[in-house]
Amino acid sequence: MAGPGLREPSQRVSPRARLLWLLSATVQSLLVLGVLVLVGPVLDWVHLRWWEQAIAVVVLAAYVAVVPQWRYLVHRWEVTETAVYTQTGWWVRERRLAPMSRIQTVDYAEGAVARLFGLASVTVTTASAAGALEIAGLEQARARQLVDELTVKADTDPGDAT
Amino acid sequence: MSELLGDDHWQRLDPRMLLVHPIRELFRFLPVLVGVFVAGTASGGQWHLIGVAIPVGLGVLRYLTTSFRITAGRIELRRGLLNRHVLSTPVDRVRTVDLTASPIHRLVGLTTVRVGTGTASTDDDDRLDLDGLPVDRARRLREALLHATPEAREQASSAGNARVVLRFDPAWIRFAPLTSSGLVIAAAVVGGLSQVLNSLGWFEHHDVRDLADPVTGTSPWLAVPLGLVALVAVVTALSIGGYLVTNWGFTVTHTRADGSWHLRRGLFTTRETSLDDERVSGVSITEPLGLRLAGGGRLSAIVTGLDRKQQGSSVLVPPAPRAVVLRTARAVLGVSGPVDAALTGHGPRARTRRFTRALVPACALGLAALMAYVFWDYPAWLANIPLLALAGGLALATDRTAALGHTLVEGYVVAGSGSLVRRREVLAVDDVIGWNFRSSWFQRRAGLTSLVATTAGGRQSVTVIDVPEDAAVVLAGDAVPHLVGQFTA
Repeated sequence: MAGPGLREPSQRVSPRARLLWLLSATVQSLLVLGVLVLVGPVLDWVHLRWWEQAIAVVVLAAYVAVVPQWRYLVHRWEVTETAVYTQTGWWVRERRLAPMSRIQTVDYAEGAVARLFGLASVTVTTASAAGALEIAGLEQARARQLVDELTVKADTDPGDAT
Repeated sequence: MSELLGDDHWQRLDPRMLLVHPIRELFRFLPVLVGVFVAGTASGGQWHLIGVAIPVGLGVLRYLTTSFRITAGRIELRRGLLNRHVLSTPVDRVRTVDLTASPIHRLVGLTTVRVGTGTASTDDDDRLDLDGLPVDRARRLREALLHATPEAREQASSAGNARVVLRFDPAWIRFAPLTSSGLVIAAAVVGGLSQVLNSLGWFEHHDVRDLADPVTGTSPWLAVPLGLVALVAVVTALSIGGYLVTNWGFTVTHTRADGSWHLRRGLFTTRETSLDDERVSGVSITEPLGLRLAGGGRLSAIVTGLDRKQQGSSVLVPPAPRAVVLRTARAVLGVSGPVDAALTGHGPRARTRRFTRALVPACALGLAALMAYVFWDYPAWLANIPLLALAGGLALATDRTAALGHTLVEGYVVAGSGSLVRRREVLAVDDVIGWNFRSSWFQRRAGLTSLVATTAGGRQSVTVIDVPEDAAVVLAGDAVPHLVGQFTA
């Protein structure tokens, strides 16, 4: 059964995406920490021993330190004449392939936080709810250019995309 | 076909809806009405007349303000008095036409026509429901809508008979108690009943412990088994009732001439669904554990263009004997390979993963029970839990491994999996939109991936679980050429 394996997509996302992910990881960790502090020392619902507290802090710190970089290593994308191919995730890696002829919409979105870093995301949808391909953390100019490119290519491909 | 021609003017629905609407509004306003009646009688005035007049008035108003027309290849529905609402859709976008008749509709010989366009909107206002047409007119309209294209019309006129593929057999009710839906109905009824009893103060007057009262002479040794037997009887009766109400008269027919499937079912509310051949992109054979042990299963179609809320109308066989399910599946697909072909297993690494995933939680549970027994003096029977958990985990893992597999045969991707709910999903390769390869860190270490075929119908995807990476690429490449090949290294 040893056939050729799937290779990674060729393009990386913008290096600044790491900052974006770092920020969101930090916010998430602080939120979890806040809840822990609230139910622990403040409201006294749960008694956490000192080593349990230490473990929680270490885990959250590791999450902030490791995950953004890990995401950056995984997130990749590639667009050819006939297909779109993305790779996302960190612990669970998801590779998605969709033929150009099945593309229904191409969305361009700048989140409030992403805009701070001059980033945007491009989402390609198909007729399947399980098949949307998102490329997050692109530089805005690059993302706009990609949207134009995809729109033209999807348009020239015949078929009704269902 | 006259239904589609010369209908430029707006037409009302059937006048008999003047009977249906008020009755339905009366039911809807029942709680309010009771209140109004009590207040009206108490104050001695004519209040209760208003209570009746408002629902009746609403019904008449709805009838007068609703109209539809079919013109220039579009079907349009206009309704509302203050907020005028016009829905319009091209006839060639119509994908399904459902006829639903509630008991009130059936009494006066009417049916509701629901025109499905596969819209993603879940807003009830966006539904194209022609509520209230005579049954034969509704059927003619359905014919006309589904075969709006000239070729289809030509085919339809060259007479073709309907072939009955499946007819309901009352013997199937033996499978009704074995499905989880029976349990759900029973739980809902028992829950509702206890709520009612509770609000009536039944539990305060009747202590459950009274059952074991030495004075009245019943012992818990008698009361508990009796209660269990009663519970089983109630659950069985309710699930059989639910099964009959939904599935009585279940018939699947295929009309060669127009190339579509017609499903019909229901005891009180009858429901007719028509599915275009092209919209049926595959089937899913499901066997929950209870059904499987009793030699049963059920079948549903993977249909593109059904709204999320309409998923129920894609049931092809309700819980029934396995042979019936398989026969219908072959008939619907037109080929037998995808139903009967042996699946390619996923090899030793997938098997190891099944066992790890089943045994690790089982061992953790067992260990916890053992510790509770050893350190905290919990009762001795807790010591049995590790053994039970281990045995259960082993059985589950073995069974799941046996189910795991995939194949590509006669133009269909086939994926098998599951133990508690065993599934064999069959999807036509033409309806595979794209592929997702999903793998966790553990899966990557084992060289496995979950291959997901995305599609526009059914549950939107078919997943081949834990297939070796190279086999996944081969399967995806064989099924949809020119897509995966350019990204292999």
